[in-house]
Amino acid sequence: MLLFEKRETVSTKLKAAIPLVSVFLGLVTGAIAILFTRTNPIIVYQALVKGAFGSVYTFSETLVAAIPLILISAGLIVAFRMNFWNIGAYGQYIIGAIFGSFFALNMPATMSRPLLLTIICLAGFLGGALWGLIPAALKAFWEVNEVITTLLLNYVALYILKYLMYGPWRNPESHGFPLSKPFELNAQLPRLLPRTRIHFGIILGIIAVIIVYIIIKKTKFGYEIRVIGENKRAARYAGINITKNIFIAMAISGGLAGLAGLAQLSGVIHMLQIEINPGYGYTAIVVAWLASLNPIIAMLISVAFGGLEAGGYQIQMAIRVPFGIVGTIESAVLFFLLGGEILKKYRIKLRRNIL
Amino acid sequence: MDEIIVQAKGITKYFPGVLANNHIDFELKKGEIHTLLGENGAGKSTLMNILDGIYHPDEGEIYIKGKKVHIQNPFDAMANSIGMIHQHFMLVDTLTVLENVALGLKSQGLYIDKKEISKQIETISKKYHFNINPYSKIWQLSVGEQQRVEIIKTLFRKAEILILDEPTAVLTPQESEDLFKILNQLLKEGKSIIFISHKLDEVMEISDRITVLRKGKVVGTVHKKDVTKGYLAKMMVGREVLFSLERKPLKRRGEVLKVKELEAYNDKGFKALKKISFSVFGGEIFGIAGISGNGQKILAQTITGLRRATRGKTILNDADITNASPKVIANKGVNYIPPDRLKVGLIPNLDTTENAILRSYDREPITKRNFIDHQKAAEYAKSLIRKFNIMVPRIDAPVKLLSGGNMQKLLLAREIAERPKLLIAVHPTRGLDVGATEFIRKQLLKERDNGLAVLLISEDLDEILMVSDRIGVIYEGQIMKVINIEDAERNKIGLLMAGVNSPKN
Ligand SMILES: Nc1ncnc2c1ncn2[C@@H]1O[C@H](COP(=O)(O)OP(=O)(O)O)[C@@H](O)[C@H]1O
Ligand SMILES: [Mg+2]
Repeated sequence: MLLFEKRETVSTKLKAAIPLVSVFLGLVTGAIAILFTRTNPIIVYQALVKGAFGSVYTFSETLVAAIPLILISAGLIVAFRMNFWNIGAYGQYIIGAIFGSFFALNMPATMSRPLLLTIICLAGFLGGALWGLIPAALKAFWEVNEVITTLLLNYVALYILKYLMYGPWRNPESHGFPLSKPFELNAQLPRLLPRTRIHFGIILGIIAVIIVYIIIKKTKFGYEIRVIGENKRAARYAGINITKNIFIAMAISGGLAGLAGLAQLSGVIHMLQIEINPGYGYTAIVVAWLASLNPIIAMLISVAFGGLEAGGYQIQMAIRVPFGIVGTIESAVLFFLLGGEILKKYRIKLRRNIL
Repeated sequence: MDEIIVQAKGITKYFPGVLANNHIDFELKKGEIHTLLGENGAGKSTLMNILDGIYHPDEGEIYIKGKKVHIQNPFDAMANSIGMIHQHFMLVDTLTVLENVALGLKSQGLYIDKKEISKQIETISKKYHFNINPYSKIWQLSVGEQQRVEIIKTLFRKAEILILDEPTAVLTPQESEDLFKILNQLLKEGKSIIFISHKLDEVMEISDRITVLRKGKVVGTVHKKDVTKGYLAKMMVGREVLFSLERKPLKRRGEVLKVKELEAYNDKGFKALKKISFSVFGGEIFGIAGISGNGQKILAQTITGLRRATRGKTILNDADITNASPKVIANKGVNYIPPDRLKVGLIPNLDTTENAILRSYDREPITKRNFIDHQKAAEYAKSLIRKFNIMVPRIDAPVKLLSGGNMQKLLLAREIAERPKLLIAVHPTRGLDVGATEFIRKQLLKERDNGLAVLLISEDLDEILMVSDRIGVIYEGQIMKVINIEDAERNKIGLLMAGVNSPKN
């Protein structure tokens, strides 16, 4: 029989073990799913690793996929540290992409490139931030649960995008496809290495990680959101302005997700369309948790998850294992990670039933 | 009569870093009331939770009526006629008495026979003069009544062995007397009782035998008739204990806090303060005595800005601070030791430094231009630790790992370091052991001697009598009477706490 006993403390060993074991179990789950395709999981995983890190090109694709994860997870960490469950990076990413695209599509092609890029990046950040401020306001003023609002706003954002793509922003020359005009060169983030798609977004990502690290570790604001996240009543007792901090944190969190969306368009896709990969907004949640809300570790994990994605495309093409395996592994990791929370609260003992 | 009904042999229980029970032998005879006496953290609750199946011993054996048993969970305990009334009640606030009694009954399936249960509750209630309506919601009941519901729960389940974990901690002296009458009646009916306490007076009143625990070990088991209060205190603490504190003569200064016809509502929307008025002067400790739930907590919250006053004024040194923000009030010199250390005053998962700077993190030297200087913060925390001799496992360990006494020292140190004009302390020694309690009270007296105005709110009448210069008795949101310490009589205050006397200021 299993016995559950409440525990007060969690050892650092257990804290470190939970993410590692979760990843391992996630891979095992993936292996089981692979078995159903009548393929040897070991071969698939080998191909996956090779497809992610095997050559300069594949590694560059891994980094390309890591860029949005780095940006979004850095932002999510700010919100999560405050115990604000921002599940809405998906929507913030889309709105950021739309805001940035507005300028990318409407400014003259002759405008100076650095200036236009600065404008669209700011617009992308601003769009995501505004979308993040809606649930922030609902929470701060009316105590509306942010899990629900952020999640539902994701759908709203998606439908706004669909409306624009089937309606006013559709390129008349796209033969009816829901695509915008392509971005002019001055609206494209520069590529950093020849023959790869690594773009300037990676620099933005690194800057974001450093800034978020400094914010949460060194500033008054970082301390305040920590206190709010850990104990709201203590925060109120100490006179911390909770409303203001929720707004700032969600502006940063949503803003970075918006910037990620814009960077994906301006750096990779080069036009607005319906499929702009907002799913990174969900994957980044797993990344942030695996990293125990440390932005630097989150950056490394983003690269690993980027590899999972890049490798996933490779195995689909090379050995015809469906790309869905990647999603299976990611969600299984999150599942086990959440299961691990139980271990943090309870000590579980196995005992034979003697009675 | 001397039948041994419960016997625990060599019970050992480890928690990470603590040996909570160290080879404990304990026995309960049929028809006796056996007290477990010990300071906080001695391991009393742990041992009893093992008997109730909530914890599982790492070593040792339990025998009920001579038969070896393995109690895996509270259902097993119930099957062995053990019923426990926990330190923190296990009741669902929003459900009725009846529903709480029915909860977890194995005999009840999906359908609950309300009529039958209600009839049985009424029978029990009548027999022991409980006066409990099965259809009242728990939150509508006083703490004393809730405790009786817990007793009903165990009797309903046909418990023969009753365990009461610090039942009097939440009761007034009068309510305690009532409880003792109930316990005596239960004994007459052949029940056996384990009673837990660290209050010596009541232990001497109610027990047959007493087992003293210290640091997880049994110090000894004695018959009450063979010992004195002082002897028990020494067994419990391991040294001589003073039952009073030395106090310097009062040097009262000007009025610091004036509360004028203040009113406020509690979370349930009831008026909890009704035109309450009183003053606190520099250099004195003004004690507020009362049974919990008569507006004490609301009063402290309203003065400190955590709750809105709907009427009246609070005035600090001639400045109106009514409904100012908590930060403004703190900056004006009001510091506050809240009743729940871990829920309000401290952040359990953060470390000593992060907790130490909660009041001062946003000013120099700790913060310059929005950046926190971690070195300065750590120095600040260390200075508090040194000054108050706070024991921390490591400076970067979460404060929830500190003992209750050390947590409270940290909290007090932080608040006093702000050099307040008024210190509000609510239940500052609740749940602390004798040593820490003595320390905290001495600090309050020391600050009083330095001219600080102290508003002490406590349910512990002994504490109020020991340190206060004046005592205001609160009842249903009003001050019944203010009494100078020279004129204070325990019994009279006890009656005032129960609302006997016409209200006047
Ligand atoms: N669930 C737990 N996890 C870790 N330590 C615990 C737990 N419960 C109690 N302890 C520790 O065990 C010791 C004994 O606690 P307890 O039995 O509650 O004492 P008492 O009831 O005598 O005040 C204390 O040091 C306490 O901190
Ligand atoms: Mg206890």
